[in-house]
Amino acid sequence: MTSTSPLHVEGAGSTPSRRYVRLGSLRWRHASTGYLFLLPLFVGLAVFRIYAFGYNVWLSFTKAGAFGPPRFVGMDNYRRLLSDSQLVVALYNTLKFALIAVPGVVVVSLLCALLMQYRFRGESVFRAIVFLPAVCLPTAIILVFGWLFQTQYGLVNAAVEAVGSSPISWFGSEAGVTTVVSIIVVYLSFSVPAIILYAGMQDIPSDVYEAAMLDGAGPVRRFFSITLPLLTPSLFFVILTSTIGILKLFDTVYILLPPVDHSVATNYGLTLVYYYYYLAFIDAGQRGYAAAVSLFLLALILGVSIVLLRLQRRFVHYGEDG
Amino acid sequence: MVVQYRIRWWTYLAVTIVGLVILVPFAWMASTALMTTGQTLQVPPTIIPSPFTLDGTLEVFNRLPFGILLSNTIIVSIGRVLGTIVICSMAAYALAIIKVPGANVILLFVLALIMVPGDIFIIPSYSIITSMRLTDTLVALALPSLFDVFGVFLLYQFFRGVPKEMVEAARMDGASHLRILATIVVPIARSGIISLAILTTLAEWKELLWPIVVNRSLDKMTLGPGLALLRGEYTTDWNVLMAAGLLAALPMVIIFLILQKRFIASFARSGLK
Repeated sequence: MTSTSPLHVEGAGSTPSRRYVRLGSLRWRHASTGYLFLLPLFVGLAVFRIYAFGYNVWLSFTKAGAFGPPRFVGMDNYRRLLSDSQLVVALYNTLKFALIAVPGVVVVSLLCALLMQYRFRGESVFRAIVFLPAVCLPTAIILVFGWLFQTQYGLVNAAVEAVGSSPISWFGSEAGVTTVVSIIVVYLSFSVPAIILYAGMQDIPSDVYEAAMLDGAGPVRRFFSITLPLLTPSLFFVILTSTIGILKLFDTVYILLPPVDHSVATNYGLTLVYYYYYLAFIDAGQRGYAAAVSLFLLALILGVSIVLLRLQRRFVHYGEDG
Repeated sequence: MVVQYRIRWWTYLAVTIVGLVILVPFAWMASTALMTTGQTLQVPPTIIPSPFTLDGTLEVFNRLPFGILLSNTIIVSIGRVLGTIVICSMAAYALAIIKVPGANVILLFVLALIMVPGDIFIIPSYSIITSMRLTDTLVALALPSLFDVFGVFLLYQFFRGVPKEMVEAARMDGASHLRILATIVVPIARSGIISLAILTTLAEWKELLWPIVVNRSLDKMTLGPGLALLRGEYTTDWNVLMAAGLLAALPMVIIFLILQKRFIASFARSGLK
């Protein structure tokens, strides 16, 4: 997973002047057409990314509501960030979901990838089943889990009671909400990692396995001594993308715990994105502060990405020449 | 190719268990959808619908403008896919085939933007769409997502594989760049374009936050958010909710089953290395 590799292949090492001489003036003659082709992308990015980002930063220094122009308030919103107990709740929940669900995604997708390696009858059916959660409307899946874990009539509590325990209030306790949300998040996001890990396993040269088998290594030993270490580039990619995905978690908590009344139950599932959505669009009048919270999330995501990229250097095995 | 794995009885056992666990929510959704509201409120719950009834399914159409939601989803998906492909393929052509001066810097900028999640831009995007007077329109749903930096990068990688000789020969014959893009580059990089189309469609189907922010009326919603709003109003009629979920999930599942290989290849490509 070296996202910069195409740039190296491009020959970034050669100086511009030399390249242009080599390719002749053709490059310059077509440059204007080329920039014209880039224009729609650039205009869109200028509006929806660059201007939007600047506007968001500016907004974070103002007090802005649904009505009336934003009023400049300096660092007020950032001071509030430091003393906001709701933000602490949202940050805590977000990190908690990530810490539970990311390992969950890795384990489930690894299991599916391993099973996809086997050539058995019905393997195409199995593969289709593995991808169902990724192509099914997330809202429908979240709703069915909400129904499965429903306190009075849900199937899960019926099973809990059948083994003699008293029913669990899944949406009335922190542990309950954490469990349900984590299960849903893993269910919704293991499919794509499974195919990425499967593709990674296909890239492991077979002679490594043959050598290990000659040395008498059993399947478990082969998995831990060969498959896992040689799979670390794909594993790293999976961990990075699912961590970022879960730090942005919104749909699951929004559908399970709708913001009709900002109840205690909503607090159990309040994530950072849910919090600034709530601030900006439900509890109108706090759009400036919401912008500051969204920038806080951006900083968190970039920070976590950098930490993971650092760890990658230590733990990821890129082969002898890579 | 990896060593042929020996299949033992436990392989089938593991595959069966994992497969069934994944299918449980779908089975329960289908089963509940065919129950009466009364049966969903039985304690302890029963698993098989008795009697089988389509009442819940029919009720969906009374409570939700289902046809409108479905057609909105299809229209927005098609618009978003076409827009994304046009914008991304033109940009990728300029970077990979024409190689405009500064292409490396632009690519670096594109890669940096891939790292920045779009959800951060919800508040300013809403302000921009408001000032364009586009709130509560289908255009608003797709517009901010058309400028897909990931799509540019995906197509860039495919376009780089197009043989230079073919492009140069076409130039000699006096073909314009637009013509070369449409008649030579796009056909060669077809699987890349298809992947981008599939990933973009799925992204649109999964959208929730942006639609509920920018559009207020149900008539201008897509299926996912429309369904989420139904949940807020009728929490107790689980058979209706499940029928709605099933109906809404079905179109994409059918498309997936038909184009399974294409979908899986696209997923694999979403993990660009």
